[in-house]
Amino acid sequence: MAINKIQQGLRLSRRTLLIAGTAIGLNLMVPFSMAASDEILQSRSYVDITSLDPSNYLNAVDEDVMGAIYSKLIYFKPGNKWEWELQAAESIEQIDATHIKFKLKEGIKFSNGFGEMTAEDVKFSFERAAFGENPAAAADWGGALEEVEVTGKYTGVIVLKKPYQPLWNLALSYAAGNIISKKAYESVGSFTNQPPASSGPYVVKEWRPKQKVILERNPDYYGEPSAYKEIHINQIDDEKTAEIAFESGNLDVTRISMSSVQSYRETPPNNSQLQVFPSLFYVWLGINFENPKLQDPRVRQAIQYATDVPSILQASYFGEAEASTGIIAPGLLGHREQSLIPPNADIAKAKALLAEAGVNNLELTLDVLNKATNVTTAQIIQALLSQIGIKVNINQHEAGSFWTLGSEKAGERWKNIELILNRYSMVPDPYYATVNFITSQKGKWNWERFSSAEFDELNEAAQAELDLEKRNQMYQRMQDLMEQSGSYRFITHEAEPLAIRNTVAAGLRPDGRPLYRHFKPAN
Amino acid sequence: MWLFLLRRSGLAVLIVMLAVSALYLMIHAIPGDPASIILGPRATDEMKAALYIKMGLDQPVYVQLASFFANILQGDLGYDVFSQRDVSEIVFEQLPWTLALIFSAVTWAALIGIPLGCYSALHANTWFDTLTGILSVGTIAIPSFVVAIYSLLIFSVTLQWLPAIGAGEQGDILSQLEHLILPAFAVGLGWVGYISRLVRASMLEVMGSNHIRTAKAFGLPSRWITFRYALRLAILPTVTLLGVGIGYLLSASLFAEIVFARPGIGKLIFDAVSTRNYPVVMGAVLVTTGLFVIATTLADFVNALLDPRIRAGR
Repeated sequence: MAINKIQQGLRLSRRTLLIAGTAIGLNLMVPFSMAASDEILQSRSYVDITSLDPSNYLNAVDEDVMGAIYSKLIYFKPGNKWEWELQAAESIEQIDATHIKFKLKEGIKFSNGFGEMTAEDVKFSFERAAFGENPAAAADWGGALEEVEVTGKYTGVIVLKKPYQPLWNLALSYAAGNIISKKAYESVGSFTNQPPASSGPYVVKEWRPKQKVILERNPDYYGEPSAYKEIHINQIDDEKTAEIAFESGNLDVTRISMSSVQSYRETPPNNSQLQVFPSLFYVWLGINFENPKLQDPRVRQAIQYATDVPSILQASYFGEAEASTGIIAPGLLGHREQSLIPPNADIAKAKALLAEAGVNNLELTLDVLNKATNVTTAQIIQALLSQIGIKVNINQHEAGSFWTLGSEKAGERWKNIELILNRYSMVPDPYYATVNFITSQKGKWNWERFSSAEFDELNEAAQAELDLEKRNQMYQRMQDLMEQSGSYRFITHEAEPLAIRNTVAAGLRPDGRPLYRHFKPAN
Repeated sequence: MWLFLLRRSGLAVLIVMLAVSALYLMIHAIPGDPASIILGPRATDEMKAALYIKMGLDQPVYVQLASFFANILQGDLGYDVFSQRDVSEIVFEQLPWTLALIFSAVTWAALIGIPLGCYSALHANTWFDTLTGILSVGTIAIPSFVVAIYSLLIFSVTLQWLPAIGAGEQGDILSQLEHLILPAFAVGLGWVGYISRLVRASMLEVMGSNHIRTAKAFGLPSRWITFRYALRLAILPTVTLLGVGIGYLLSASLFAEIVFARPGIGKLIFDAVSTRNYPVVMGAVLVTTGLFVIATTLADFVNALLDPRIRAGR
């Protein structure tokens, strides 16, 4: 079922795309059936924006805003399926493994008098992102872009150096795929959080550092007017503070903590509802492949079998998150329906493996980020492993220290890693996850120092694979290899619980991330 | 007086330099690779190396420190490695929010705490004195972030009288004041008790001194004795406390800034440390250290004005 959904979303036939483009075009001709509301939408972000220049973006919050103020050729639709649709593109077609032809809609205007969007703007934006110094934007293109060839005012061809399938879910439909006005950019030289021109339904009215971003209706937007006069994206780090703000009526939508999900479900705050979305993040217990204490695969397997995932989910996630089968979440290409090792612990098997390995009185450290959920999980693992005679000492780290634990560039601490509880962010392409665990990422983001020639080959080949079913199987095999190594005990993808005012009809991705251009007052 | 100020100024500069140097050494002792944190998971080795050079981290620490001080003399605090904005711009953009919070908290705390302490001293061992003592200790003991959370729950969530988050609309002073009430209350509450107890103790001590007894013997009005002679001296420890307390208030304001989602320099420093944004850390701490030194110097100056013995150098 997941495969069919992905195939439906990623189907590349000309006919399908032309039909989709026509449907969207016809939809734009239909008069807006109701007057746009003049309300202000109050939303919450956990971190401040870093850059609204697509070629310099850093985090998901940057894209949340850019998605409202810019246009992409294609973008992910709101809803519960990972499907994209045409946005600025009237049509787009992969004509061979390294050439993607596109045609822009006519009449897409940039604000502040910077004229109509043309293929030159696409070329400028994409090449700047792909060839620039920012690692996030450049990585989204994976070093694959050769050039964007302009063939007409509204037409062009994306020319790749090599086949690169993550393009569709990563480069074109995410942050680096936002198209900016070449003319506007050149008029200012550079910008960070005050874009000189926008093509989306909103423009940045004001950025207050460490406070909020205020978006307002773009009077030059070519499509339906935005539903809100303004959107205020308030930066609130702490989830409990955000909950209080929501309960006091200061916010219309916010993520809430896992510990509050039950109470929000049973007794939601005034005029609001709870919606829980499956997250794309992945959480796992890492077991250092190269550490002398853990080199025997039976010891690593024992730890895998002793770690009872349901216990962790109940204690740390209050039963609101599902056990994961790997690093690729349900609904995405490459998701495995089942893991090789069941989520429930098998203590007897774990003990037998340790006995077979001749190991007893093993003492290990478990490094963890000092956040409540992570620490609780670490404590559960500590208790679980004690049942098989492994003593675990928990090392808590603040963020700045934790995120460089496994880095060889940051000192010698990588050598001391034994067990580690980790959590990586994700975007809806499997490549984004698997690339972290290739051999060349040892000492970078592969902190378990996992190494598999087959895995590396598959990771490279899957990027180029045009057959979706084959690509799906490749990523599934990669996760098998990770699990078989004994270095990974997959725990969960977590969840994204949102509190939403009943006066708001939220436009959200399947993982709950906001698509602000699709937020509107509820009828 | 001028010698006093000159001596204090020289000491102030020395304190700032030592504090900043110590901080610089400390932040470099903290484990973590700023390039990895700043550039994110997709950075190549070349990108990291380029950033190290750009940040000057490829130089020995003492060279970095010397460069930092040299740049300070030119008014250059560096740039935010994420947004590329000038650190000085960022710091002085955030600082007023914190100063407003601290000033508000201290002001209302002093306006209530000083009279309360004075009255308690004049009516020592009465029920009022006992009650204020208990309440004072209670408010001192409650952490400011606990006060913050409960005040939010009561006044924002339950009663919905006051806003829960933010700092108000720019240019709208009433909005900003409205958003300042709860944070200032949370930060200042403990200080009410502290100031109250300190003034009470100091007043009791001063009221027993020789010159007060002499004034009473001469039949001066009680109000004169209390407010023109006794309180003038009794307030000295409080003035010193407020000056020295700037450091504590900055840390207390951090919690308020997080809980109330306010901008401010405490939160700026917290975020910058977490992300190893060294230039912002250094610039912000330089300013806050300078602020602290200025506050303590002003406190000493006020004490000198209030107490002629200090001016005379005794």
